[in-house]
Amino acid sequence: MDYGIYQDKLTRIVSDIARSHSLWVLAYGTGCGAIEVPATMTSRYDAERLGVRGAATPRQADVLMITGYLTVKTLKRVIRVYEQMQDPKYVIGFGSCAINGGMYWDSYNTIKQLDLYLPVDVYISGCMPRPEAVLEGFAKLQEQIKAGEAIGATKYKENLDYYRGNQKKIIKNWDFPDYNW
Amino acid sequence: METFLGKIKDRISVNFDLEKSSIDIEKKRVDVQIRKEQIPSILRYMKENMSFRHLMHASVVDWLEEGKFEVIFMLWAPKEKIRVFVRTKLDRENPIMENLDMIWPQLNTYEREFKEMYGIEFTGLVAPEEFILEDWDGPPPMRRDFDTEAYAKDVFSERIGREDAQDVRETIAKRSGEVIPDFAKKHSR
Amino acid sequence: MKREKATTLYFGPQHPGITGNMMIRLKVEGDTIVKATTEVGYLHRAFEKLVEKRNWIQSFTLMCRFCVPEPDPVENTYARAVEMIAGIEIPERAKWIRVLILELARMSSLLLWHAGQGHSLGLYTMGQWSVGDRNYLLDLFEELTGARIYHMYVWPGGVRKDFPEGFGERVLKTMDYFEKKLPDYDNLLFENSIFQKRAQGVGIVSPEQIIEHGVVGQPLRAAGIKSDIRIDDPYEVYEKLKFDVPTQTDSDIWARALVRREELRQSIRIIRQVIDKIPKGEVYTKLPNPQKWTIPAGDAFARTESVRGEVGMYLVSDGGNKPRRAHFRGAAYVHAVSLLEDVLVGANIADVSAIMNSLGTCPPEIER
Repeated sequence: MDYGIYQDKLTRIVSDIARSHSLWVLAYGTGCGAIEVPATMTSRYDAERLGVRGAATPRQADVLMITGYLTVKTLKRVIRVYEQMQDPKYVIGFGSCAINGGMYWDSYNTIKQLDLYLPVDVYISGCMPRPEAVLEGFAKLQEQIKAGEAIGATKYKENLDYYRGNQKKIIKNWDFPDYNW
Repeated sequence: METFLGKIKDRISVNFDLEKSSIDIEKKRVDVQIRKEQIPSILRYMKENMSFRHLMHASVVDWLEEGKFEVIFMLWAPKEKIRVFVRTKLDRENPIMENLDMIWPQLNTYEREFKEMYGIEFTGLVAPEEFILEDWDGPPPMRRDFDTEAYAKDVFSERIGREDAQDVRETIAKRSGEVIPDFAKKHSR
Repeated sequence: MKREKATTLYFGPQHPGITGNMMIRLKVEGDTIVKATTEVGYLHRAFEKLVEKRNWIQSFTLMCRFCVPEPDPVENTYARAVEMIAGIEIPERAKWIRVLILELARMSSLLLWHAGQGHSLGLYTMGQWSVGDRNYLLDLFEELTGARIYHMYVWPGGVRKDFPEGFGERVLKTMDYFEKKLPDYDNLLFENSIFQKRAQGVGIVSPEQIIEHGVVGQPLRAAGIKSDIRIDDPYEVYEKLKFDVPTQTDSDIWARALVRREELRQSIRIIRQVIDKIPKGEVYTKLPNPQKWTIPAGDAFARTESVRGEVGMYLVSDGGNKPRRAHFRGAAYVHAVSLLEDVLVGANIADVSAIMNSLGTCPPEIER
């Protein structure tokens, strides 16, 4: 009897559980939501008990948090950072500006829908979201990872043309290297 | 206070050819308007001879209807505790001014911003080309004839659902098929 | 000795040591910086354009978002600029409440600075303590205004709501807690010999740079100049309050740290006086229908002493229901661009983050 298929499944389940309890968040405050991240990480809310902690460089990080509005200039850097991150990787959209532009709905320099440019796994609503909301967002992400549903990164690779098309529409001077996964 | 402000105004008007001047006692403020050619000399005079050493702020206002840009330099004398606003008007079609960052190096930052946001040229300004915007090819965005809403609609797509979300409570109820009782409708906004 | 070739090093925008979202291009020889160029604009949301499209009260909701760590000084500046143009007199009690809010905001931002300065030198425990304790202040804000970070509380005409019942006692209780806690901070940060060694003699702002660059706030006071908008150009009820303006003479990171240390204590002193002396009465002047509210033509420049120094707003009305122009000047506008470029020359790469924290660099208020 071939146990290979069961072995694969078991490995996936175990590694997903392990991954969900070790989420390293990239230290990149892209917008004003970065102010509630220290509060979430420190003594009162203590996100580290969920396995959430900061990581200094994209190569070590699992989670990219888009904290709030994203200007076109930052979007270019964020895409670059996201593509430098290693699998498994997840994106959290933080605050109402990431969801639909928020109060900057008519601004000429901020994007209005984050999921056109990056695959978002979890959105956290609010302006500003409270640390409890941030923790709930992380808990939701953990649930998704355990259920094998947090597959944004795979979707990004499969539909790269769609994302690239959207990105190139607003980033005028495109000087990225071509990746081949 | 009134005489003191008046004296300051007189001292400026003796040395420079003012277009307009006024004093505001309540705000402790002297306003002078001057031709743009005299701006470097008046700022230097205020800083070095009249103890207005602190440049609080510099700003540009776009008077689209008049066809002018107004450039304002706000000075503060720490000892006398008085403000002087030095104004000048530039032609909106061809806004050119002399570079001023040898008087206050911080003006370099302001000039870079005004150049990018209003398209005002400062002759002799040494600074990198871009300051805030990157690869911007539209008109200077802070000009009043630039329509930010139309630009945003054109370039970024708005998420569907925003347009009917004027009443959040009703929108959520409609989506989930919930019925709001009549008495609660009034307070749902 | 053979001269080393300069290397270009990009510090940010994604860098754990940078404050906010900005970039510095460093030219380094070995470990020494020979040239620094800041690049900002990663947070440009075009606030000033949006303000021109919204009416006076709608603009007020944007104001607190100018600078994230301390929204209240900006709200206060806008409110006072509008009141100056429109000629609105606000009730006495509202002025006192505004002072309370401003000083609580000052404390909360100073605690955040403790964390940042500790982090920049590898002292992570400081952040765990001070950011954790900051939550007690945010609880007070939440009780008074309904929000932890963006309060939208100080508006033209006064403040939105009066104190809830028993609020004063809870403020005093929190102040007691902080007074008990401050010696611990001294132990951890200010008496820490590593912090002292790394802070002394680093990031010196020279007296010439102070005038040329229009330096404000702690860098100015750490150079021995006693300048504080609360005393020089008093607003609200600061004239009726007793407090000291601490100064130092060395003008390095250490001197600025000592100034901030004392300021935290002075803020507690002011808050105690406010709770003690606050009069009873109305908290806002009734304004006309905000949708139709027009303000006579005119302009005003209001300024407030924020945590990092003087912030100001130049507001112009053309007689309509929307601002013609609102131009905000943050304390970091000169600190983080022209001054930082000068101060960084000669420093080590490892000190960049500490110098940025010490000057109070806050990118969102540079590009707005």
